[in-house]
Amino acid sequence: MDCRAALKNIEAKADGLLPRGAEGELAGHLAGCPACAAENAAIFATGPALRALTGVRTMEKAPALDAMWTRVRAGIEERREARRNPFRIARWAWIPAAAALAVVALLLYPAGTDRSPFHPSTFDVAVEDVESEGATVALVDKGEDLPRVIWIIEDAKS
Amino acid sequence: MNEREKGGVADDALIRTTLAGDDGAFAELVERYKGRAFAVAVGIVGDGDDALDVVQDSFIKAYYKLKEFRFGSNFYTWFYRLLVNQAIDRWRKSARSAEVPFDESWLSEDASPPDSFAYPKTPEDLARDRELGDALQRAVDSLPEYHRAVIVLREVDGMAYDEIAKVLGCSVGTVMSRLHYARGKLKGALKAHREG
Repeated sequence: MDCRAALKNIEAKADGLLPRGAEGELAGHLAGCPACAAENAAIFATGPALRALTGVRTMEKAPALDAMWTRVRAGIEERREARRNPFRIARWAWIPAAAALAVVALLLYPAGTDRSPFHPSTFDVAVEDVESEGATVALVDKGEDLPRVIWIIEDAKS
Repeated sequence: MNEREKGGVADDALIRTTLAGDDGAFAELVERYKGRAFAVAVGIVGDGDDALDVVQDSFIKAYYKLKEFRFGSNFYTWFYRLLVNQAIDRWRKSARSAEVPFDESWLSEDASPPDSFAYPKTPEDLARDRELGDALQRAVDSLPEYHRAVIVLREVDGMAYDEIAKVLGCSVGTVMSRLHYARGKLKGALKAHREG
């Protein structure tokens, strides 16, 4: 067996694919070839070295690992509580809720008044259309200094 | 190997009891698998604190997904899938994932004659050689995530190729080629340390 074949067989052995019959021949080559023996030693050291590495990390964290069920139970309880009281954790939820409420209020704004429409072209404004069954309206954002206003483009469509 | 094979209460029975409302049975599953789960997680994410979070989050996720478990299949294979995905996500989000380019010089093909050098076999051996521990960790960190997962599941957990394939959702051939590549990288790191 030459070194090229031996290296191939070393890798096959590491992968668990070397036929039993070939093991003796490989062993014979390794006994007389220091270079291949070094390769063999290194490749078969990877598993134990990796286990040793994770073993070191495990020893470092052994106390925390002992308390794993306590951590898991706390996480389970936290989620269970969140499912029972979905509003309790959603403190931030009032912001989109308030925004949605404002939009609804604007859409339901009483129609038919004599209010003269505001014309956005006189200002530097951003306009976005909102369709509803009752009217087509535009939300007009005039920037940070001025509030949002509603512009009714078409009243009582239906 | 699961507990059924060791003679304890079978995983399936513990899962049924958990689903019936007894969290104590799930605690037993956590106790049963936390050590192996941590070893796999730390092998993938590298950092012990991150690995603890990954294990905790994976068990919580498993608890709430337990209804989806198919009885008759292996709990640990099913759980490891959650665990490995969680660990890979964690690794991607961590800053460490961006800072470990692979140094090809570790793959030196020069072979020196074998001498009295002994590769580490135990955590104690490795703890005595911090430099080698660091070199090995760098080599592990430099592997693509799924290659890392494969070699950790194989060498640390001792999983069979077909089980690894199930956990990672790939073919046995893919598992073997990733394992071959990963082992080559780690071998290079060990040899470079020995020769350097």
